[in-house]
Amino acid sequence: MKEETLVSALTFAAACFMAVFSLAPFLYMFATSFSASPDYLTGGFNFTLANYSDVLGVRSLHFLDYLRNSLVVSFVSSAATVLLASLAAYAITRLEMKGKAAILLFVLAVSMFPQVSLIGYLFRVMTELDLINTRTALVLPYIAWILPLALWILVSYFAQIPKELDRAAVIDGCTKWQVLFKVLLPVALPGIFSTALLSFIFAFNEFLFALMLTTDYQSRTIPVGIALFQGLHGETPWGQIMAASTLTTLPILLFTLLFQRHIVQGLTRGAVKG
Amino acid sequence: MKKRFFSSLEPYLFVAPLALFVVFFVFIPILGTVWSSFYSDVTFLERRFSFLQNYGALFSDPGFWKSLRFTLLFISVAVPLELIIGTAFAVVLDLEIPLRGLLRACVLIPWAIPSAISARIWELIYNYSFGLANFLLAKTGLARGPVNWLGTDFGAFAAVTAADVWKTAPFVAIIVLAGLQAVPRDLKLQAKIDRANFAQVFFKVTLPLLKPVLVVALLFRTIDSLRIFDVLYVLTHGGPGGATASVSLYAYKYFLGGDFGYGSAASVALFLVSFALSCLCVKYSGFTEAAS
Repeated sequence: MKEETLVSALTFAAACFMAVFSLAPFLYMFATSFSASPDYLTGGFNFTLANYSDVLGVRSLHFLDYLRNSLVVSFVSSAATVLLASLAAYAITRLEMKGKAAILLFVLAVSMFPQVSLIGYLFRVMTELDLINTRTALVLPYIAWILPLALWILVSYFAQIPKELDRAAVIDGCTKWQVLFKVLLPVALPGIFSTALLSFIFAFNEFLFALMLTTDYQSRTIPVGIALFQGLHGETPWGQIMAASTLTTLPILLFTLLFQRHIVQGLTRGAVKG
Repeated sequence: MKKRFFSSLEPYLFVAPLALFVVFFVFIPILGTVWSSFYSDVTFLERRFSFLQNYGALFSDPGFWKSLRFTLLFISVAVPLELIIGTAFAVVLDLEIPLRGLLRACVLIPWAIPSAISARIWELIYNYSFGLANFLLAKTGLARGPVNWLGTDFGAFAAVTAADVWKTAPFVAIIVLAGLQAVPRDLKLQAKIDRANFAQVFFKVTLPLLKPVLVVALLFRTIDSLRIFDVLYVLTHGGPGGATASVSLYAYKYFLGGDFGYGSAASVALFLVSFALSCLCVKYSGFTEAAS
């Protein structure tokens, strides 16, 4: 009995530690975003909303432009990735073809290359095509970059769906496309959703391509925008940076809380399968 | 006859769009980088074939070796910490505790936030005069004076490592948790009945069964840490004096300066190391079995 109380007390302490470890930096960010100056730990706090009104109201800070670019780029990349990966996953799990393992391994090996070994070439190709500083210049490599992960997750989901299901559909006269879109995809919906969510997160968080291939607010995404955030007067505007970070982080935070089950499933399928 | 030929090609049509994207935007760029590494290729200067000249310059540049040394040192410190902390987190998340789902979501958050943003938060935490780190050190009396986190070699290394471990331990936690949940409950129960304590059950029963998952986590994290960029770019810019410049950051600076040949050579050197590691990953994690 005594040992059990001890164990549950220790567990509780560990759980608290984990929550603080994970969230403390965000609380600090949150607090700083409401303070008139970032040195409030030693000085006075001086509550203010000015940081938020600056970030949202001052056009030359471009926060809303960055956010819009990020949302558009991540959404388009994620949707295209899921569509293309579903097609390929269908062929790999359901159709007769040679080289399935080779495709999966090729795609996996390719995804492990460091991004820096692509950017020099991509920069020049995008310059040739006159696409530098457009959202297209980001979407195209993002799709290619995220596809391997999406393919691996979806192959693992599709492989779990009983083959009798689509055999029955074929007998009922469905074409391959109908089998995929009318039978498999609806059944695999949770898997599709996990994959889309993860793809979105990956695209949203990407940094190096966005840093190299964009030059200003017309296509710059939020991570690069916040990394290069300059105040109106040249100093590091901590309050504004933290307000912008809070505005970006809060939706992701809510998203993660709501959909953690799906994210966890996607991550595990992508990594542990095998 | 013609129809049968077509239908045997049909599966490839499903794979073709994916293959085209990966080939055009990942595979060809990699080949292009290799190609470019054999040229003297600087913006505004004439492009000419120079064979191994870039590599000669690269291997005789102490800055490159410094960046390679930092990258390897960083991996060997950060990855084990991530594995230990991640596994510890997974063990707690596997216990029957109230609000387990909420805790799991909390742990996921550092992973889900863009590293550029969290690096900015860490930059403020490490601020010399008013950051949270020095404030806590002063309050608890752990350090005699404020620590110059980002301005000294050791401080910057510790700062970068902590920020990265914080961000990536959740990833390890999640996949180890999946491994833990696959461990049969009966096995743990049996060990308990045999009067094994918590630590004994963990080290003697659970950990050996977790080995495959830990190997995957180790390799994924190693390959990912090898290309570390965002955190360094924001937090230290590779400073002080190149002490925290990874090979990625080193190569990026040359691309940025317009020296594509030399930047490419540095990238090729990095991806050769990566390639060796991803071969290991494929070999040891049983991906070939999953594919069949």
